[in-house]
Amino acid sequence: MTEQIQSPVLAESLSALMDNEASELELQRLLKALDADPEVKTTWSRYQVASAGLKGKLPVMASSDFAARISAAIDAEETYSQQSAPKKQNAVADNIVVVPSSWWQQLGRAAIAASVAGALVVGVQQYQAIAPQSSEIAANTAATNPAAPESKAVNLPSGINAPALSARTVAVQSGYESRPQESRQVMFVPRQEAVPVHNEDITTYVNQLIQEHTDNASLNGGQGMLPYTRVILTEDE
Amino acid sequence: MLTSIRSPFPFRFVSCFIAFVFFTFPAYGQESQSDISAGTVVQVDEVSRLLHKMATVPQTLNYQGSFTYQHKDNPSLQSFRIIHWVENGVERERLQHLNGPDREFVRDGKALGCDTLGNQLLQGKISQFGASLARLDQLYKFEIRGPERVAGREATALLAIPLDQFRHSTLLTIDNETGLVLKSWLVDESARPLERYQFIDLDLSPDVTNLKPVAKLHRDAKAETDCNPSALKQPSTWKLGWVPPGFVFSGQRQVRQKIDMLMYTDGLTTFSVFIEQAEGAIPEGVAQRGATLAVMDALTYQDKTYRITVVGEIPVITAQKVAQNIGGI
Repeated sequence: MTEQIQSPVLAESLSALMDNEASELELQRLLKALDADPEVKTTWSRYQVASAGLKGKLPVMASSDFAARISAAIDAEETYSQQSAPKKQNAVADNIVVVPSSWWQQLGRAAIAASVAGALVVGVQQYQAIAPQSSEIAANTAATNPAAPESKAVNLPSGINAPALSARTVAVQSGYESRPQESRQVMFVPRQEAVPVHNEDITTYVNQLIQEHTDNASLNGGQGMLPYTRVILTEDE
Repeated sequence: MLTSIRSPFPFRFVSCFIAFVFFTFPAYGQESQSDISAGTVVQVDEVSRLLHKMATVPQTLNYQGSFTYQHKDNPSLQSFRIIHWVENGVERERLQHLNGPDREFVRDGKALGCDTLGNQLLQGKISQFGASLARLDQLYKFEIRGPERVAGREATALLAIPLDQFRHSTLLTIDNETGLVLKSWLVDESARPLERYQFIDLDLSPDVTNLKPVAKLHRDAKAETDCNPSALKQPSTWKLGWVPPGFVFSGQRQVRQKIDMLMYTDGLTTFSVFIEQAEGAIPEGVAQRGATLAVMDALTYQDKTYRITVVGEIPVITAQKVAQNIGGI
């Protein structure tokens, strides 16, 4: 309990991953660290257990060294591939190409590895399916409850690689090419209501005003013409 | 007997970890906070130098670059090309859509050496406006987040965190040589990115003599502005009872024949107020697309009803407070 987390950056990334907000880069960094530092794995496991415990969703637990014991068991298996190595050398010497006799055993190992990877992917997908909902709820409450004190303005991305935009919707929207590149739709939440409605008049009106406002944003915001990317440019407006 | 000892084990195990999480996270948060404040003191000069460069150098350059753009409501990545060049002492710019139909924005005619009010604020040239105007570093806490390579160029990442809840945070990665913003993120108060731009290439000697003709679908962006204003003005027909500290009135005009538009800036963040006389029911509420927010409200003034819309890349709390404090003169 008193032990320190390895590196602040890694711990932060781990925490971000728990919240489903880790960037691609952070994920890569974590996966790399996972190989180098077993402590990362145990920390991750602790976070998961703690999170599940807080949500009252504790599953039947496999002990944390479950994977390690499986690996050990596999290592302990008699290794046929090493035995085949000298044979192969002989075969090469005789100029005969021989498929190593244990190819199917190696295939078997690959299959095990693949199935482990499959289990990981399933786990991640299930996890992602839950996380965005909670973030949507958070977003909604923020939008509908503007009077709530937003005292911690300094609650910011931990670093330059802050949380990515939702990856979930990227998947949904792939194959978007044939449709217009940007949606002109405006989300409108009427006063005293909590859910956004779609109102074509408001969409048109707001889009017009965004265009006018962008002249101001562009001249007075320090970033040149970049703000014009916010303006929807279509034939009909 | 052995089983009765073993069975509660998982529960103790778990509560131990929960405690671990509670103790570790706050301690961790404090640590990163103190790192930040220690660094800021050293960086003040560097920050104002960067902002000054960003506000003055790019407008004098010829460049062409491509960048990607993404905002929170539309996960698809859009790409654009920007071309900026100086001809006879006048800035010329084209912003072209590289996805979808061929479209572009064109801006011509801003004279070199003509600084807008926002630009002056960014440079820290505010002494002529009197001591009451807040400096940019009294509105935002600036942090240099180290060197970063963007579009194959050496740049410096600068994070601007607002000191109040009335504006968003911005991450700007500024090219070391030219002061161009090569990467920009706008981040809301709950640390979610609202939009991001990122250049993928930049050419500082583009051939501007053989540009392709302007796209059939194009729009002219406004270039007219007060040059190097030496005093702050106030709107002529309306009075805003409240604007967040540091925001100043940067001009007004009439749009679409009947709407009064008032413009405000703090140097990094802008918002605009639209006031239009209207009949019947006026929609009230909060509209949003991407990083831009529009708060719609109604105002009754001298027996007439007006439709008020505050538009900007600002938090809803700011827009609402501005909208609710508008009156006639």
